Amino acid sequence: MVSVINTVDTSHEDMIHDAQMDYYGTRLATCSSDRSVKIFDVKNGGQILVADLRGHEGPVWQVAWAHPMYGNILASCSYDRKVIIWKEENNSWEKMYEYTGHDSSVNSVCWGPYDFGLILACGSSDGAISLLTFSGDQQWEIKKINNAHTIGCNAVSWAPAVVPGSLIDQPSGQKPNYIKRFVSGGCDNLVKLWKEEDGQWKEDQKLEAHSDWVRDVGWAPSIGLPSSTIASCSQDGRVFIWTCDDPSGNTWTAKLLHKFSDVVWHVSWSITGNILAVSGGDNKVTLWKESADGQWACISDINKGQGAVSNEQ
Amino acid sequence: NWLKNCDTTLFTFFCFLHPWGLCSNSFFLCISSGLSTGGCPFVHEVRKDEDICSPILRKLFNESHHIFVGLQGIRDDLPSKNKKTQFVSISKNYRSVIRACMEELQRISPVFFLQVSILLAVELIWNLCEVLFIDAAPAGSLLLHLLDWVRLHKADVDEKARDVLQSESPTEHQAYWDVVISYVLQGRMDEARQVLMKQAALQPAARGMFKLLDNLLIKMPIFNPSGAQTLTEFDVKWRHWHEEVDRCLQDQSFASNPHLEVICKILVGDEDVLLEHKELLSTWYHFLVTRLLFSHPIVKPTELHYYAQSSMHMFLDTRSVPEPLDSILLAAFEFDIHQVIKDCSIALNNWWFVAHLTDLMDHCKLLQSHNLHFGSNLREFLLLEYASGLFTHHSLWQLAVDYFDHCPEFGRVYLELQIERVPLDTERKALKVLRICEQRQMTEQVRSICKIMAKGALRNNRLGSALSWSIRAKDAAFATLISERFLQDYCANGAFSDLDLIDNLGSAMLLSDRLTFLGKYREFHRLYGEKCFSDAAKLLLSLMTAKIAPRTFWMTLLTDALPLLEQKEVIFSADQTHELMFCLEDLTSGNCLPKPDRDEDIDTTKIEILRLALARNLAKAIVKEGTVEV
Repeated sequence: MVSVINTVDTSHEDMIHDAQMDYYGTRLATCSSDRSVKIFDVKNGGQILVADLRGHEGPVWQVAWAHPMYGNILASCSYDRKVIIWKEENNSWEKMYEYTGHDSSVNSVCWGPYDFGLILACGSSDGAISLLTFSGDQQWEIKKINNAHTIGCNAVSWAPAVVPGSLIDQPSGQKPNYIKRFVSGGCDNLVKLWKEEDGQWKEDQKLEAHSDWVRDVGWAPSIGLPSSTIASCSQDGRVFIWTCDDPSGNTWTAKLLHKFSDVVWHVSWSITGNILAVSGGDNKVTLWKESADGQWACISDINKGQGAVSNEQ
Repeated sequence: NWLKNCDTTLFTFFCFLHPWGLCSNSFFLCISSGLSTGGCPFVHEVRKDEDICSPILRKLFNESHHIFVGLQGIRDDLPSKNKKTQFVSISKNYRSVIRACMEELQRISPVFFLQVSILLAVELIWNLCEVLFIDAAPAGSLLLHLLDWVRLHKADVDEKARDVLQSESPTEHQAYWDVVISYVLQGRMDEARQVLMKQAALQPAARGMFKLLDNLLIKMPIFNPSGAQTLTEFDVKWRHWHEEVDRCLQDQSFASNPHLEVICKILVGDEDVLLEHKELLSTWYHFLVTRLLFSHPIVKPTELHYYAQSSMHMFLDTRSVPEPLDSILLAAFEFDIHQVIKDCSIALNNWWFVAHLTDLMDHCKLLQSHNLHFGSNLREFLLLEYASGLFTHHSLWQLAVDYFDHCPEFGRVYLELQIERVPLDTERKALKVLRICEQRQMTEQVRSICKIMAKGALRNNRLGSALSWSIRAKDAAFATLISERFLQDYCANGAFSDLDLIDNLGSAMLLSDRLTFLGKYREFHRLYGEKCFSDAAKLLLSLMTAKIAPRTFWMTLLTDALPLLEQKEVIFSADQTHELMFCLEDLTSGNCLPKPDRDEDIDTTKIEILRLALARNLAKAIVKEGTVEV
């Protein structure tokens, strides 16, 4: 059974679109249609408002925490076509950088693995995906993939920083030969894989299975096996699990996790990548786990509708 | 495009598995509900099952961790008989830890009723698994072990007996006969006889009957595993006794005393009479063992499941559905280990129990005989789940490390992924985490943690701490950054902070050029302070000529040279002075950056002063070097 352990009253004046815990689970960032991004300290069940960040001129869709080794950095993206990167300096949060290179709403932001440096992927309704790389001293290098998805891109998610098969044949002492990859989902019903080659981003794979807009994608964390796993969910109510077992990353097979009765908005992997959380318009959050024989089973159901959760505090 | 008309959206999912054995998955799930009408400002943190990490449970985790680690250390090359004794002993250790935890919970408060009953069930199952699987008693001893098992879990008999015997008139106590019969049902003949004697004393007229029953009770054969008697011999003896008891019944020897007659019927194994005492037996497995005691004492392990099933059916109401505990015990009697583990995982939702039990059984090589494709990995799978849960706890996470260490396939990578999420609240905690990573050569994690700590220290202006962390992380870029800060601070304040650290850099100095310069520059100051002027002078010059010092710092260095130039005695030789002059010219000639007026003035004055000092020193030096000492 699931129980609520903490309810944070964010005082947002409109719909909340995203809530993300930081790396250690001690801070919570939320963003809303009220154009603000708020940061709370939620250690030990508390809720102290640490910052109320204003800077967007439209609903803010997503927030993403960068790895703590770069400091306390948060990225936010909004309908106002902007991506803002906020940084905590001397106990106060300030705008570190503002990116306005998109022509339409930016729907999704995702920080890459820390091994790649400080790099942010942004997906926008103008169909493009931008990659912002911090090159030091307030400078950000921009790379843009135009027409990544026709009509628009809804979600981006990075692959973990491993060379597939790294557990097996990694010569020690050498700087690892990282291949930067990420997955995106768009309004063209497609899930696309992107790879960086010689400094250029190229479309690596096109995965077709959905019959409506892809709303979210998630690349599962790696546990060192030579296989990769991606989850995608769509307006068509389906969640697919894509796996690739060969190290070259060429053959992807889709498995239908489940067909839900309503649009599925988000998918999210656990730290070790063995549990997937799915949420959707049917007002339910479900958890899925892969059993030993390769079938996915629902291990928990959480109903969260109006008044459906008993508040045990 | 942005009409997200959803009521519930899931955003963050961290799977933090909760350590309390009752629940399997807790996670920080942030669920925010947004309504199309105005919106709900609440964000809910959700965890599966409550956080009841009381100190008592902490003890359970700590002590079982200790036992676990000890178990992993048992050498494979020991002869199997010795190993079996050790394994049984370890199993008993685990059980005593469960018992201790249970008793303490009971003692503290009746509020923990649910947890106590779960622990009771857990210990019951574990005990049975120990008897059947680990100890693997053969026919003969098997029944004895099962009797022990039942007796251990039906301790209320002694309490009742105490009440009865301590009362004014025991034989008139309403529970008197219940006590006698309960003892008989548990095969505790001596105790039964003792209580019976009270009654016997009061009825001299019936002495003959009581003597007869007493005799039967004494003479009941009990198998002695270490004795010389074989199973067959015991069986023969037992059958004799059984026939004798039967004869007493046929002869109506106890007809006048219904209670004694009941006892006699029990002794002969009359199932209907046994079932009449359901309340005293209270469970079907008690009924099973009693039934076996009085009808099939040399039951073989392979025959158990038949008796178990029939006992359960006979005892339980036909309408009632078997509870999870019943299914688990039945699976155990059927020697279906995997089913036991599976049912326990589901019913108890308790990773602690299945993880430790499976690990023990894996060491006993009991899992390999089963033909499941993840047979040997079942142990690792359960241990990983359990340990992942421990990681959420602010201090129990350290126990989890050992569990991961003993998962050969995925333990290391799980540890790598989880250990980076331990909040580094204090430097002490960071050092603890670091030590764990360093011991396991997890260089990536070491670097990452050091970088995080360095960044944090820098943010709080603790330059010394930041520097030592970046040295530990072997992060040249960051070290350079911090050295710059040190130097800037020096220019601003005229003094160094964290002198101890800089003075004792040693070979770490070589990590970055700027750091090397910082170290050497500080050395210059030290030499100057100790009045080793010529050494200081030599060092200062070399900093510029060997290009260790950044050009931006040359002005400062030259200014530092001033007091050495102005000394009465000559420190810089003529050659050295020439070099200094060369550096100055080099600096001023290449300097065509536009500067605000004020700075230019200061600079010009400084340069003039330097030129003068250098010239004077050169003169003095030439004279000194040209002078012949007589």
